Amino acid sequence: MTHQEVKPVETKKIRELLDRQKGKMKRYLSFCAHCSLCAESCFLYMAHDKDPQYMPSYKVIHSLGKLYKKRGNVDRKFLMEMKGIVWRNCVLCGRCYCPIGIHVPSMIAFARSICRSQDVYPQLDEVSSESWL
Amino acid sequence: MCNFVEGRLISIAFVVFCLGLIFQAVRFFKLTKKKEWVFPPLPMEMNREKKTAGQWINQFLHTLNGTLWKTDPILTIITSIFHVCLIVAPLFLLGHNILFDQAWRLSLFSFPEPWSDILTLVILICGAYFLGRRLFLSRVRAITSIYDYIVLLIAIAPFLTGFLAYHQWLDYRTVIFLHILSGEVTLITIPFTKLGHMLFFFLYRFFIGSEYSFVRGSRTW
Repeated sequence: MTHQEVKPVETKKIRELLDRQKGKMKRYLSFCAHCSLCAESCFLYMAHDKDPQYMPSYKVIHSLGKLYKKRGNVDRKFLMEMKGIVWRNCVLCGRCYCPIGIHVPSMIAFARSICRSQDVYPQLDEVSSESWL
Repeated sequence: MCNFVEGRLISIAFVVFCLGLIFQAVRFFKLTKKKEWVFPPLPMEMNREKKTAGQWINQFLHTLNGTLWKTDPILTIITSIFHVCLIVAPLFLLGHNILFDQAWRLSLFSFPEPWSDILTLVILICGAYFLGRRLFLSRVRAITSIYDYIVLLIAIAPFLTGFLAYHQWLDYRTVIFLHILSGEVTLITIPFTKLGHMLFFFLYRFFIGSEYSFVRGSRTW
């Protein structure tokens, strides 16, 4: 096991970070109509045979959305799953398009910051089984 | 209970709806600030040469590339029709305007009743299409929870009960009570649930720096 998988989660720190951007992120999350019209704007969604887990809305709802829902009370397993969503499933190219006007890249970037605050990030310099590149 | 729903709760619902939207808009402008840097004009805005009608049409069709009109035209058309009908049908319904006139001596122009009936039917068909997408399309199902079905019900219920009441298909007294109640629930929930995209659809344009934006994205969080 890597140190990323065993280190205890500082939920207080996560909650602090979540509160800092609450006004913006909560508004983006709660006014998403869940229409899935953002799907085709993601090149990874198109490249993976239209797999729903690559939809911009799916990535946001299952990372940042869950963090807000659980008020930051998450375990390391959740953060490791989130790492896959926000780094492997999204390259932050910024081309996703929401008809309502929700800015998805800023939410993914914020989810990455929260992961980094808990020492969860891809270690591309280490060749390991978790490497997806 | 009946008296409250058919009397005072109507005013309460309208007040909550209006104040809720004002509150959300004011909070939005308090949370955001003006940005110094704004996006440069789009190439098509810089090009001020005179164009023929054909060139205008070509340019218009070109702007549709990569938009929802090309990627999902059926849903785009259905959702556009749905949202227009959603606003137009209740505002210009004869029955509502008679009530407005009785209450405030003010009323809007009314459509003939068969028109309103058709508009309502269109809303119900579009609603059924949205429900079908939620149930059967894997990409929509992946992001759907029970909350999405409840919100869809809240949005459609006033039209369904209104349609039933107009045709008097079930017990009129019960249906009209449900119609009033569901209308009130819709009005009260709009500012505070994802139905708030009614307002935020326009407010989010203040951040967008390209097409379909207000003031070229000059605001930021």
